[in-house]
Formats: sequence, C-alpha cells, structure tokens
Amino acid sequence: MRKTWLRDYIIKRLLIAVIIAWAVLTITFVLVRVGPTSPADKYLANLAARGQDTAQVVAAIEARYGVDRPIYEQYINYIVNLGRGDWGWSLSTSMPVTELIKTHWIYSFQLIFLSSIFAALIGILIGIYSAVRQYSKTDYIATFFSFIGISIPNFWLGVMLILLFSVQLGLFKTYYDTSLPLLSLANLKQLILPVITLGTGMLAGYTRYTRSAMLDNLRKEFVRTARAKGLPERTVIGKHVFRNAILPLITIIMFDLGSIVFGGAYLTEIIFGIPGLGQISFNAIFADDYAVVVAVTVISAFLILMINLITDITYTYLDPRIRYD
Amino acid sequence: MTNRFKNIKHIARKVGMVKNLAFIAVMALLGVVLLLDIFVVEKIFGLLVYLYIVLGTLFILYGIPSLYASRRLIKYYWQRASRNRLAVGGLAFILFLILLAIIGPLFTTDPTAANFEEKNLPPVGFTLEESVYDIKTGQFTTHRITGTGEHPVGTDDKGRDLLAMIISGAGVSLQVGLFATGIAIALGTLIGVTAAYLGGKMDNILMRFTDIMMTFPFFLLLVFIVFIFGPNLVFIVIVIGLTGWTGTARLIRSESLSLRTREFVMASKALGASDNRIILSHLIPNVISLIIVIATLSIPGVILAEAALSFIGLGDPNVASWGMILRAGQQNLDTTWWVAVAPGVMLFLTVLAFNFLGDGLRDAFDPRSNI
Repeated sequence: MRKTWLRDYIIKRLLIAVIIAWAVLTITFVLVRVGPTSPADKYLANLAARGQDTAQVVAAIEARYGVDRPIYEQYINYIVNLGRGDWGWSLSTSMPVTELIKTHWIYSFQLIFLSSIFAALIGILIGIYSAVRQYSKTDYIATFFSFIGISIPNFWLGVMLILLFSVQLGLFKTYYDTSLPLLSLANLKQLILPVITLGTGMLAGYTRYTRSAMLDNLRKEFVRTARAKGLPERTVIGKHVFRNAILPLITIIMFDLGSIVFGGAYLTEIIFGIPGLGQISFNAIFADDYAVVVAVTVISAFLILMINLITDITYTYLDPRIRYD
Repeated sequence: MTNRFKNIKHIARKVGMVKNLAFIAVMALLGVVLLLDIFVVEKIFGLLVYLYIVLGTLFILYGIPSLYASRRLIKYYWQRASRNRLAVGGLAFILFLILLAIIGPLFTTDPTAANFEEKNLPPVGFTLEESVYDIKTGQFTTHRITGTGEHPVGTDDKGRDLLAMIISGAGVSLQVGLFATGIAIALGTLIGVTAAYLGGKMDNILMRFTDIMMTFPFFLLLVFIVFIFGPNLVFIVIVIGLTGWTGTARLIRSESLSLRTREFVMASKALGASDNRIILSHLIPNVISLIIVIATLSIPGVILAEAALSFIGLGDPNVASWGMILRAGQQNLDTTWWVAVAPGVMLFLTVLAFNFLGDGLRDAFDPRSNI
C-alpha cells in the first residue's frame, strides 16, 4: 500500500518538476525576447566601435542566433538546443557555453561545498549546545552572535576580511590564484576567507534553526520517558532529540542552498576573483554575452529544482508521517 | 432589531464598495497621468512618486481600516514586544534613520559635489600618510593628511563628503525597502489569501506558480532581469517586489487556510457576505499582525539585494546608494579604507535593527512560530 503510494508520489513529483523546468526555460526565453535590445544589438555596438562592417556582422549574428526566423521557431529551437546540450556560443570568450561551464563549475562547487560543511558542522554544534543550555550565558552569546551573523551583509564582510587580513596584515593574497592545484593545502588556504564570507550567514542561520528545532523536541514527552528510563543525558540528546530535529533541519538547509547560498556565492566569487559560475556570469554581463548569462541562470534554477526534488522525495521516504496529496 | 442589523450590513457593504471604487478611480487617474507623462508631456512626476501614490492609496484604503479593526490586538502585541529591549532598540534606530534621511540632507553639503583639493581625507581622528610625486624636483614627498571636523567621516577619491553620501544613501535604502516590500507584501497577501479562500483548482494553479517563482535563485533572477532591462532604481524596486512575494504568499495562505474554517467566517458567510467582503474585512485584518512581522523581516533582504546589485555595478548609476559607495571603497581598499567601512556599517546596523524588531514582534505575536 505504502509502496505503490510512494511510487505514485514520486512519479507525480517528477512530472511537476518537468513542468517547472519547462516554465523556467520559457520565462527566461520570454524575458530575453521582451528585453529592449537583442543580443545582436549590444554586440554590434562593440564591433562597430572597432570599425567593422556592421551589415555583414548583423547577418552573421542573426543567422547564428536565429533571430531572423519566426518567434515560435526560435522558441522551439531554444528548447531543443538546450535539451541536446547545445547551450550556445559565448561571444566574449569565443568558446561553446558548455565548454566554459565545464571548466568553471568546479570553483563554484568547491566554494559552496566547503562553506556548507563549515557552516553546517559549526552551526549545528553551537545550536545543540545553545538549546541544551537554554537561557545560559553561552546561549545568550550564541543567540546574539547569530543575529549579527545573519545581519552582516556577506559582500561587505568579504571586503572587510580582505581589508583586515590581506591588505593590513598581509596574511592572504587579495586574489584567487587559479594556477594552484585544486586539492592542495595552498588552495585550501586561499579559500579560507571566501568560505568565511559565504559561510557566516549560513552558520548563523543553522545555529538558529538547530536551536529552535532542538528546543521543540526537548519539550516532547518521549524525552521525559527516555530520561525516566535512566538513559544518560548524552544518549537522550544525541539519539532521541537530535535525530528528531535533524530532518526538518536538512530541509531548511537544502532550501537555503537554493534561495540564499547561490546568490551569496555569486557575490563571494566576484569579491575574491574566484573563477566560478558567478564570476563568468558577471563577466558576461559586462561583455553583453547573453548565452552565458542565460545558461548560468537556467543551470542554477535547475540545480535548485533538483535539490528540492531530492529533498522532498527523501523526506517522504524517511518520514512515514508525511503525506502530500 | 433585524432592521437595524440590515442597515449596518447595508452601510458596511456600501463602505466596502465605495472603497473599492475609490481605489479603482485613483488607479485609473494615475494611469491617465502616467500615459500623459509618457506620451504627451515631458515629465509630470518622477517614477518614485507613482509608487508613493499607489502604495499610499493601498495603505490608506485597505491597510489602515485593517489596522484599525485590530487596534486592540496590535496594542497588546506591542506591549509584549516592547518588553524586548533589542526590539525597542531596533525600532529606535529605524526611526533615527528615517529622520536622518528626511532632515539630514538639509544640514549636509551636496553629496555629489566633487572637490579634488580635499580628496581622500580620512575621518576625524585618523591620519594618513600620502606620497606625492613632485614633477619639479622629481622626488616623492611624504606628508600626513589629518581628518578635519568639516568632513567628520572623511571624503572619497573625488573629494566628496562621505557623511553627505551616507545620508543620501539612507534615503535610497529606506525607499527601496519600503516600496519593494510594499509591493511584495501586497502581492503575496493577495495571492495567499485568494489561494486559501478560493481553494481547489485556483489554489493549485497559484501555488504551482509560486513554486516556479521559488525555483529561480532570487538574486540571480534579479541580476538576470536587470541585465536585460537595464539598471534603473524604480525598475529594480518593482522587480524586487514582483519576485519577492513567494514566501509571503505561502505563509499567508497557510494562515488563511486555518482562518477560513473558523466560526466567525462561517457566520459571516451564512449572513450572506460576499467573497470580497469576507476576504477584506475578515481574513486580511486577522492576518495583519502576521503581515507586519513578515514585512519587518523581509525589509533587510530587500535592502541588501539592492545594495548587492549596486555593489557589483548593476545599480542605478544616478543614485548614490550604500552599495555604490561600498563598490567605490572596495576598489581603493589599500588607501581609503573608510569609504568601504562606513556604508557597510550603516547597512549592517540597518539590517540588524530590522531583524531585532522583526524578531521581537514575531515573539510577541507567536513565540513558537517559525517564520
């Protein structure tokens, strides 16, 4: 009974995900088309400034983009090409967008991955401690600092960290060095400031979520039962309370990843010059390179869609009480 | 008795109708003025004025009656919130900031006036060593620049007074926070309440649409739209408002869902109240405290979004917002560090103040809720 229900649920959820993916593509297409300038226009201004024959270039670009064809045909081409893995040509870097993304995604990934681990580990630990010692001095201090952490603008924090540790103290380089191998201590060292920049807000958020999730469960009756059985406090907190608090916590962490972390990573990469997806999208914006900007936006939306899908399905699988109709 | 009751109902319905008609009339008038503005005359109002009028009418016609209807509840909540010292401190800072933004510019010099004689002046109490290359002697001469009382927070690399810039930036940030949140809250409330009240298919469609909007990472979508349509402050505010309503819609929907089945709504329905009336005079006044909390807690995100856009160079180039100053400061970090520090401190304190206030209000409203 539950098995077939679960299967139906997953199928339904997948269908909705496909529809949302299609809607995301359509919205980006419409936005680009509705925009006041076409991709050719902006690029033309650059070329004309360099004294090239514009008429020839217009024809070439319009043919390349397919702007000369009717709008519905452009729309179908857009979707089909994206589906086939042809994400367009990046004018500013002169390579296929897929190639560009393949070389740069790892930088974004390492930043987001390390920041998430850093924030989740420390945030959850502080949150647990804060909840167990509710209203203690440590709890007040932790709560106060988590307020500061969620309020500090992360791009400003990044600038201040550079000012203090790189400019004044000279401990770190001000710019990210891509020549270092990814899995080296030197690379890890130059990621310290970016990880703190991106991770502080997340850390503060996780502290607050963990604290409130733990407090919710600490008041429950099974905790009293566990204590009455004479279980050591360690087991009560670790096994009974934390295990029940972790599930909603994971959902929130996953949700944050989409709504907050991607934007934060975008800014962090720009501040520290890390050549991730945010940085290439940022460069593309100032070079009027539409294909790259569209690709990065669509990829992030798809990633979030997938993360949400996986979270939802695992959540439903793990927690038999959950029923979505 | 029944007659009197009928009369009250009649008057209430009339007031509701007049209100809606007044709203439509004001909007129509505004539309005509806007069209005139675009096609006939050069410029009647700045675009911001339109936003002020739209949100002002919305607030006067629908916000104030709802607030008035639940005045005792709000007073009670405020009494509870005012016990939280951080919340009161936050409110005090916000009021100070509003005052600063309104009357501050009267006392400061022109924030855009460049004066290269006085460039890179440090704040009061700081000195900076500067090496200047002298063409005549061909040597570097080092001299110390000390901050003066004339420019208490110093000047930037074009000699503009930083304090004046910060004060004019306060106005920008507050207006962005107010308008973008206003639009987002109005939209979110409308969509949330409608979805909850109508239910069924309509609920499904609206919530799936919300899901789609939530799939885009907020900041990336913002960057994407500003990239395509160009940076203009009013436009940025509207876009933040139009993309930031999703969370509000969800919260308001779930709150309204539980309200919809309460007895007083049933009673109102049984007495023949229209959907319109139930939504406007029963559902919205009852979610107004929730709306206040969401608004207070979402203002910081909005202010930060605009600041971040300006910081990466996608802000309105004609407006000296805090993000813009910070951007200039970041580029000269090794010499004029105060240009990067000052706007960031203000941004941080503003966000902190709104978070403290919002948290205090939320605790007063419902200590166990997880907004």
